[in-house]
Amino acid sequence: MFRKDFQHLDDEALLEYYHATRNLAAFRQLYARYKDTLYRYCTQMNFAGAGAVLEELWRNLLERPPELCGRLLRTWLFIRADRLLRNYAGSDPEIQPGDPTPDNPLLNGLQQLPRIERNILLLHLECQMPLATVADIERLSLKRCREHYQRGRERLDEILHGPKRQPWRIEEVCV
Amino acid sequence: MSVWEHRYRDAAAEITSPGALDEKILLRARQFKPVRRESNRVLSGVASSCAALAVIVLLIHPAQYLGALTPSQRPADSAQASPLMNWQQPGREPLAAADPWFALRSEVKAGNYRSLCQHWRRQQRGSTSEKLPRDLENEARDHCRILPTH
Repeated sequence: MFRKDFQHLDDEALLEYYHATRNLAAFRQLYARYKDTLYRYCTQMNFAGAGAVLEELWRNLLERPPELCGRLLRTWLFIRADRLLRNYAGSDPEIQPGDPTPDNPLLNGLQQLPRIERNILLLHLECQMPLATVADIERLSLKRCREHYQRGRERLDEILHGPKRQPWRIEEVCV
Repeated sequence: MSVWEHRYRDAAAEITSPGALDEKILLRARQFKPVRRESNRVLSGVASSCAALAVIVLLIHPAQYLGALTPSQRPADSAQASPLMNWQQPGREPLAAADPWFALRSEVKAGNYRSLCQHWRRQQRGSTSEKLPRDLENEARDHCRILPTH
């Protein structure tokens, strides 16, 4: 196999190739594909624990090949990151999620959402996962997941643009 | 993708993985040494040198140049087809005027052997000093026997 061949492999084949050869360049390629999106997801879910969670996640992947069981590597990575984040939040309850970018109102608004809605919004938006997979991760029904997603978006809209405009109401004038 | 999602992507694009974290993870990846497959490498080296040797042998093999070095081995028809075989030196026609045998030769070419045979018999008898050129002599030998003598 030529040196640059693995650049055209998809994630799962690249992972398999890496575990067969332990080629550092192959791992770099795989890491470069996911590092930013994983970091964005983790910092917005738990700013303080993002670094530790990512280190743990990649260490797991390096030490032994993950059992994908027919899933995409992308899905596996985010499911695993979600679990690690939950465990991390459980082990350090004092640490409050920080504010990654205080200057951006949209990201600020995301931070103000409840955890479950933020997680569903981020998994769908940032990680580009279908809502069905997100529902599996959150252990919800698809319907409930969609409701959370809609409510999260509405709430975010409300934070950004204020409450929905109410229809004019003519007050009764009592003479 | 809705406008809202676009706005989110623009905002989130500023957040990127910090270099220190990347370094830490890649350092851990470096601890796993790449698997070396020496046998494969040796095998591919042997295979490529064999292929190079085969190409060299094919290029310098004497059979490549047999046709070029031995033209006489070619079949006869191809030799006839070759323009070099019938090549004549140019400028032969202008020289014909200077040829003392021109008149006689053109008569022979026209099929009239009389003057040639007269000349031939004179030469046979030794009464002429001028000797026929070889081609005319051959012509005379072939044709004059059956002609009546004068």
